[in-house]
Amino acid sequence: MTTELDVPYLDIADPGFAMHSQAVRDARARSWYAKTNYGYAILRHEYVSTLLKDPRLRQGSAKWPEHNGVHSGLFYDWWTKCLLVLEGEDHHRIRRLLNPAFSLKHLEPYLPRFEALADELIDDFLPNGQVEFVNEFAQPYATRVLCILLGIPESEWPTIARLASTIGLALGVTLQQDLAEVEAAIAELYVYAEDLIRDRQVNPGPDLISRLVEANRNGDSLSDDELRNALCLLIFGGMDTTRNQLGLGVMSFLQHPEQWELLAAHPELAPAAVEEVMRTNPTTTWVTRETVVDFDYEELHIDAGTTVHFFTQVSGTDPQAYPNPEIDITAERVGHYGFGGGMHHCLGHFVARADMAIALRALSSKMTNLRINGVDEWMPDSGNTGPVLLPLAFDRR
Amino acid sequence: MKVIVDRTKCDNHGQCTFAAPTVFRLDERGILQYEENVDESLRDEVEEASDVCPAQAIRISD
Ligand code: HEM
Ligand code: SF4
Repeated sequence: MTTELDVPYLDIADPGFAMHSQAVRDARARSWYAKTNYGYAILRHEYVSTLLKDPRLRQGSAKWPEHNGVHSGLFYDWWTKCLLVLEGEDHHRIRRLLNPAFSLKHLEPYLPRFEALADELIDDFLPNGQVEFVNEFAQPYATRVLCILLGIPESEWPTIARLASTIGLALGVTLQQDLAEVEAAIAELYVYAEDLIRDRQVNPGPDLISRLVEANRNGDSLSDDELRNALCLLIFGGMDTTRNQLGLGVMSFLQHPEQWELLAAHPELAPAAVEEVMRTNPTTTWVTRETVVDFDYEELHIDAGTTVHFFTQVSGTDPQAYPNPEIDITAERVGHYGFGGGMHHCLGHFVARADMAIALRALSSKMTNLRINGVDEWMPDSGNTGPVLLPLAFDRR
Repeated sequence: MKVIVDRTKCDNHGQCTFAAPTVFRLDERGILQYEENVDESLRDEVEEASDVCPAQAIRISD
């Protein structure tokens, strides 16, 4: 039982705030939750697992534009109609129509192309013995995977990467300042998406967009606008996340070379390697919810409208759920929340899990003795994190 | 047909309830409840639920 006085406080707006810190570990040992600048943070696995899926909470990102003084315009319209922030039947209807296209069985035909892409990118830098991992591997890989999936010519990946990153600025606290740039990127992405949709309506094929164009449940289907909004969300939600998570993953293995060698010797452990990296070093450091009603939970009285952050790395390394929380790709583990949880659980998780397993397997099969080669640069630990620059040196295997 | 959910894998994400709402539902605490014996006419819906389950917890036995 935590009394009010014992409740830890975490300053998550401080640019120096770190999830991997003694202060956060101490807070978790003392209490299942902490107070923060913006509402509560849930620290322990058991509590994240139950509260994240509690129907008395809803997506907390819906009012993001308003909180930043944005009340209308292209970004506002897109964001407020996005699957990510819709709730109830409005959300479930779109999710019902999208979900099947993202299942494993529809993904399998793409996997050999992801493998070929990983090999191509690695073979380009392999002879050099060094690589700036973000720009030479993670970003082109994450973006070209999306191009393959969506049927966009892979040669256009730099444009897609630029548009995705620009829309990503919308998640920063400088939204107002970046708004014109964000809206220009959305407008440009809309043109891409609309062209793709028109093309597949006339020339349907076995690809993902054709599947979405044809998706139909009991006479209900996605309108052209709904499909366009969804395609933009896929690009926005699928690129930076995968790029960042790959960078974090390689960094984890650089710090645990014995695990990297284990992976190289046992490539069948690649899916477990992805899970371990996302559990111990996730790019999405928290997911946000808002309480819909007043309610009591354990000793806490929570008012309606309270923001609740679910900490993923902190709950993913909670010793009560993971007695030996260090990365171990051979261990049996309970699930982590790096892909969120509940109704808004990541739509693209099968894609991300498969493409990252392929990448880690290919990288570990060709590179050993990874080390930092120069100056690495990182985003802060707030919400989404990862390397900006990750210069590596390595030996060929 | 018989529907089996592996409770050690299921994490109550509720994606199955979108695919087959008459078979799967979340209760007021957000915990999955489901029908075990399901009419053959719902096979497509239950297969879809099984395909989209993030935890791959749903099995159908004939
Ligand atoms: C390592 C890569 C990825 C990570 C870490 C990640 C993480 C997440 C997280 C944490 C959420 C839940 C957000 C919340 O509940 O507030 C989410 C939702 C979502 N993700 Fe991902 N994601 C990844 C890759 C992808 C990919 C590749 C796609 C698309 C192809 C994608 C599409 C989406 C969509 C559409 C949603 C919204 C789902 C909804 O609200 O129903 N993600 N993702
Ligand atoms: S989708 Fe899977 S994990 Fe989610 S409630 Fe249904 S069976 Fe459980």
